[in-house]
Amino acid sequence: MTNLKILLTIIGTLAVYTLVANIIPQVQSAVPREIVLTAETTPEELVAIGEELYAGVGGCTACHGLGTRAPDLVGVAGSVCETRVPGQDCKTYLWESLVNPTAYVVEGFQPIMLDQSRTIVQPQLWALVAFLQDQGGTVTVNADDFASALAEDTAPETAPADAAPVDPASIDPVAVARNTGCFACHMYSGEGVELGPPFEEAVGKDPEYIRRAIEDPGADIAEGYESVAGLMAPGLAGIMSPAELDALIQFLVTGDPGGGDDGDDGSGDGSGE
Amino acid sequence: MRAATGAGLALLVAMPLLAQAAGPDYGEFGIFGLDRRGAVWIAAQLHLLFAAFVLGVPMFAVVIEAIGIFTDNERYDKLAKEFTRLLLVAYSATAIWGAILVFFISTLYPRFWVYLTAIFAPSMWLYAALFFFESFTLYLYYYGWDAWKKGAAKKFHWGLGILLNIWGTIVMFIANGWLTYMMSPPPDVTVDTAPQTVQLWSAINNATWMPINIHRLIANVVFGGAIVGAYAAYRFLTSESDEERAHYDWMGYTGNLIAIGALIVLPFAGYWLGREIYEFSQQMGITMMGGFMSWLWIIQAFLIGVLFLAGNYYLWIGMGRIPGAERFQPYIKWMLLVLVVGVIVWATPNTMIASRDEVAAMGGQQHPFLGVLGVMSAKNTAVNLMILTTFLSFMLYRRANKEPVVSWAKTGTMLQGAAFAIAAVIVVFYGIYGYFVTAIVRIGFSVYQVLAVLATIIFVILIDSAMLRGAKSRGEIQWGKMPARSQYALLILAVTFTWLMGLMGFARSGIRQHWHVYEVIRDTSEQAFTPALGPAATMISICVAIFFGLVGMIFWLGGLAEKSVYEETAK
Repeated sequence: MTNLKILLTIIGTLAVYTLVANIIPQVQSAVPREIVLTAETTPEELVAIGEELYAGVGGCTACHGLGTRAPDLVGVAGSVCETRVPGQDCKTYLWESLVNPTAYVVEGFQPIMLDQSRTIVQPQLWALVAFLQDQGGTVTVNADDFASALAEDTAPETAPADAAPVDPASIDPVAVARNTGCFACHMYSGEGVELGPPFEEAVGKDPEYIRRAIEDPGADIAEGYESVAGLMAPGLAGIMSPAELDALIQFLVTGDPGGGDDGDDGSGDGSGE
Repeated sequence: MRAATGAGLALLVAMPLLAQAAGPDYGEFGIFGLDRRGAVWIAAQLHLLFAAFVLGVPMFAVVIEAIGIFTDNERYDKLAKEFTRLLLVAYSATAIWGAILVFFISTLYPRFWVYLTAIFAPSMWLYAALFFFESFTLYLYYYGWDAWKKGAAKKFHWGLGILLNIWGTIVMFIANGWLTYMMSPPPDVTVDTAPQTVQLWSAINNATWMPINIHRLIANVVFGGAIVGAYAAYRFLTSESDEERAHYDWMGYTGNLIAIGALIVLPFAGYWLGREIYEFSQQMGITMMGGFMSWLWIIQAFLIGVLFLAGNYYLWIGMGRIPGAERFQPYIKWMLLVLVVGVIVWATPNTMIASRDEVAAMGGQQHPFLGVLGVMSAKNTAVNLMILTTFLSFMLYRRANKEPVVSWAKTGTMLQGAAFAIAAVIVVFYGIYGYFVTAIVRIGFSVYQVLAVLATIIFVILIDSAMLRGAKSRGEIQWGKMPARSQYALLILAVTFTWLMGLMGFARSGIRQHWHVYEVIRDTSEQAFTPALGPAATMISICVAIFFGLVGMIFWLGGLAEKSVYEETAK
C-alpha cells in the first residue's frame, strides 16, 4: 500500500506538470528554409511561403493576433476582405492593406501599420496576399500578378538625379516617428504604446547607439525590455530618408523636437518621401 | 533596401564541411514510436540525471564525513557511508546510459559524431581515463570505509572522498566543454571551418563553459540532496522500527536542508549563465527570454513555487516533533499566505495571447489588476519575500527547542526581528518605487532588493550563532515522529527538482534551435524544429518517470543491503 502511494505521488506530480505545460500557449520553433519565388510558383506554394513570411521575418504576428494592436487575421482574413470596402475585391483590398494600410483602418484599431512594400519585396507581398486570402477565402493571386511583380521588383532602383539635399533642421522628427510607425511600440509625450522604451529614455544617449538601435534593433537590447526584444522590425531606417533619420536621432538624443513644427501635429502624410 | 530584405528572406546556409564526408548524415530509428531525436533525448537526459546524482552525492558525503571526524560523532559517519552506498549502483546506471547515448549519437548522427570527435577526441580519451580513476576511487572509498576507520587512516579515507570529488568535477567539466561548444562555439569557428583546425582548448573554453560548470556544480548539490531526501522518505515510509524511522527522518531533514540551501544560491549562477548567453548572441538570448521559449519561464516559476511551498511545508510539519515549537505555530498561516501570494505574482504572465473579445472583456491587452503583477517590480518583490519567508521558517525551526541564556538574548532577538522587518520594507519599497521610474533605473532596484535579503540572512545567522551558544534545551527533537505526509512532501520535492532539471536542459539545448552547433553545423534532419513546451514536457515526464523507476530499484537494492546488515547484527 505504501509503495502504491509513493508511486501515485510521483505519477500524480508528473501528470500535473505535464498538464500545465500542455495547456499554456504552444509555440514551436520552425526551421527557416530558403524561400525561392519564380513565375512558376503555384498558388499553394504561394500560400505556404506567405504563411512563413507572416509568422516569420514579415513580423506580422508582432501586432496581428495579440488582440489589441491589430485585427486577428488567421482564419478570417479571406472571408471578410470583400466586405470591407464596397466595390473592392478581396485581392485588391488585401494588397492595398499591405502597401497603403491607412487607406482603410478597421474600426477599433489605430493607423499604426507601415507600408509593407518598403520592407518586403513585391513578389513576397503577393505571397502574403495569397496566404491571407486562404484564411477563410479563395486564393485568386495568379501568375500574372506575380510575374509582373517579379519583373518590377528586379528593375533597378535609381535615385532622382536632381534630388536636392534636405536640411535636417527643416524636418519634423515627431512626424517622421509617427509616419514610420514608431508610436506603435514607443511612447512620446503621452502618444503611442508602452511596449518598447519611451522616447524620453533616449535623451542623453550616444547618437551612434540610437542609430544602431534603429538600423539593427537586435544589436543591443535595452535592459528591462528583453521580453519584447525581436518585435521591432529591422529595416525601419530604410523607410526614412538619410536626412529624416539624422533628424530623428538628433531629436531622440536631445529631446528637442525642433524641426518643421511644434511636434504636436505631424501631418501623418508620409512627408518623408 | 529591397535587395537586403531579399537576402534576409533567402536563408541560404552554406554546406558545412562535415557534409563532404562519406556516408549518410543521419541513421534511421523508430522503436516504440520514438524517432532518433527522442531516443537521444531520453538517453542524454537519463545519463545526465544519474551523472548529476553521482556528482552531487559525493560532495556532501565528504562534508558530512568531515563533520563526523571533527565532531567525533559516528552518526554523521554512518550517514555519509549510507549516501555513498547509493552511489555504487547509480554509477553503473550512469555508465550504462552514457554508453547508450554514445551508441545512439554515433549511429543516428554519424556525421555529426565524426565532426565532434575530430575536435574533441583527446578530451574523450582523457574523460574515459578519469572515469576509470573516479570509479576505482569510489570503490576504495566505499569498501575501505570500515577498514580505515580510525586516526590517520580515517583522514586518508576522507582524502579519498575529496579525490573522488576532484575526478568527478573534472569529468563533468570535460563533458560540459562538448555540450557548451554546441551552444556557443568560438567566434572564429564558422560553417567553413574544418573541425581538424579547431583548437581543442579554444573549443572547450567557450563563452558558456564556465557559467555552465558552476551552475551544474551547484545544481548537482541541490539534486543530490533532493534525491537523498527522497531515499530517506522511501525508507522512512517502509521502516518497521522506530530506530529506523528516526534515522531516516534525520537523513531526510539533512538532505532537504542541503538541497534548499544550495537552491538559494543557484539563481545567481543562472543569472551569470543567462548574461553570458546574451553576450555570446543577442539572438540566442532573445530566443530564450523573449522568443518562443518565453512561456517556459512561467512554468519554471510554477515549479519553483512548488519547491518553496513543499520545502516550507516540510519544515512546518517537522516543527511538530520539536518541543517548544508550538509557540511559533500561529505565525505559520501568515508565512503560508506570503508564499502563496508570492507564487501567484511570480507566475503571472506579463502579456497573454487573447482573443479580441477576451481583450475587450479585460479592458486592454493587460488585465487591469493582474497586469500590474506581471512586471519585474512585482516579481522581484515576490521572490525576495519568498526567500525571506523561507529563511524565517528555517530560523524558527532551528530556534524551536532552544532557549538562549546570554544576557543580551532579548536584544539579539529584537535585532533579528528588526533585520527581517527592514529587509521586507526595503524589498517592498523598491518594488513599489519601481513602478514610477524608467526601466533602466528599475533594473538597478533588483540589486538593492537581493542585497537587503542576503545581508539579513548573514546578519541573522551571525547573531543566532552567538546567541545560541550554550543555550538551554526545551527538549530533544523527536526524530522519527513525523507524519507520513511530510515524507510525501520530500518525494514531491525530488520529483520537482528532477523535472525542473529536465525543463532547464530543454531550454539550454532548445535555444540552439535548428543547429547542432549554433550557426556552424545545421541540423538538416526532419526533427530539426524545436518542439513546443507541451511535447517537450511530455518527453521530460517520460524521462523523469524512467529515472524514478530505476532510482526506485536502486533504493530497493539499498534497502536489501541494509536489511542484511540488520539481520547480521540481530544474529
